[in-house]
Amino acid sequence: MTINWPENFARKGHELFLSGLPIALHCHHYNLNLQKTLETSLGDEGALLLYQASEESSYAGFTSFLMHHPKINTIKSKLELASTSYQYCGLGIINFTKIGPEGGRVVSPHSHHVTGWLAKFGKRETPGCLFSRGWIAGVLAVIYDKHIGYYQVDELECKMTLARECVFEVTRA
Amino acid sequence: MAIDTDKIVHAVMHGSRIREEKGIIPLFGVYLSMIPVQYYNRISFGFEKKTGSDGSAEKLLVAAGQECGYATFHGVRSSWEWAEVVEPMIEQVEDQIHCFISIAIAFGWGDLVVQELIPGEKLVVHAKSSYEAKGYLDAYGGADTGKCYMLRGVAAAFMDLVYGGDYPDGCFQYAAEETHCQAKGDPYCEFVARKAAR
Repeated sequence: MTINWPENFARKGHELFLSGLPIALHCHHYNLNLQKTLETSLGDEGALLLYQASEESSYAGFTSFLMHHPKINTIKSKLELASTSYQYCGLGIINFTKIGPEGGRVVSPHSHHVTGWLAKFGKRETPGCLFSRGWIAGVLAVIYDKHIGYYQVDELECKMTLARECVFEVTRA
Repeated sequence: MAIDTDKIVHAVMHGSRIREEKGIIPLFGVYLSMIPVQYYNRISFGFEKKTGSDGSAEKLLVAAGQECGYATFHGVRSSWEWAEVVEPMIEQVEDQIHCFISIAIAFGWGDLVVQELIPGEKLVVHAKSSYEAKGYLDAYGGADTGKCYMLRGVAAAFMDLVYGGDYPDGCFQYAAEETHCQAKGDPYCEFVARKAAR
């Protein structure tokens, strides 16, 4: 099934919606500065807050997507929708090639947060795709009909540290 | 020529549908993303709850909004889209602020209106249905203080960009207060930016 993304992206007055969910356009300056502020101020607790915020919003967002597209009802088509929605939202490219209900690996060769972090702050010493980790955990919970927090997503390799691509490992939490 | 907000909104809506091959949205000189407002509100108010009521989170979140507003709208102002779509509408320096407001509306940041602008001195912006105020009300009920940290920082950043001196040295020349907020039960949110105390 082909998604007509412009139809899903709507303006009602001054508010923006994607498949019925309120969204905002923000640029890499804001997104990465928020991340740095929280990591600097709260350390691991800040990183966890970013991860959980992303997990919760992607869970809600992807649930809304699927409600608007009931014909997307197989695991394969849901994973495809997740990839294309990531791309449509300007978040980058993400590939769910080795994933199942108990976990697996997810690879991202390009992302908004990597591009933005490197442009603003340069190389990191540790993996830093907190948004993507949470986003993956949230959409997989929807796709495999699990609760929020069911999956733990860790980043094994990260382009922010100048790795070739970002590699995420998904396990049961 | 008057500032044509509809034309600017249309340009942003049209441009934000274009992806380059890496799944990135390069528009108005920055990389844009579409993310549920729930994410931003969870971060801001979660941060505030974790740090307690000492105001440190508020200060950092407003600073993040101001610094990012400054960098973002500098990028916007330097872009080819600005030169092509916006620049022809600008007749005097103050018009830049009205154009920044139009772009912020296009970004889905709220129904923003310039209420008062005294060149170099003061900017008053009103917003209805700011996603920050609405998000706070939905999650926590009413507030005692203003909750629109991003918009507060951005209001000051607009003054920095126009009256604060050359980029990148003009940031934090101005500071903004949120004098009314819908999260407190006010009918609108109001941001007043003035020269920062030194």
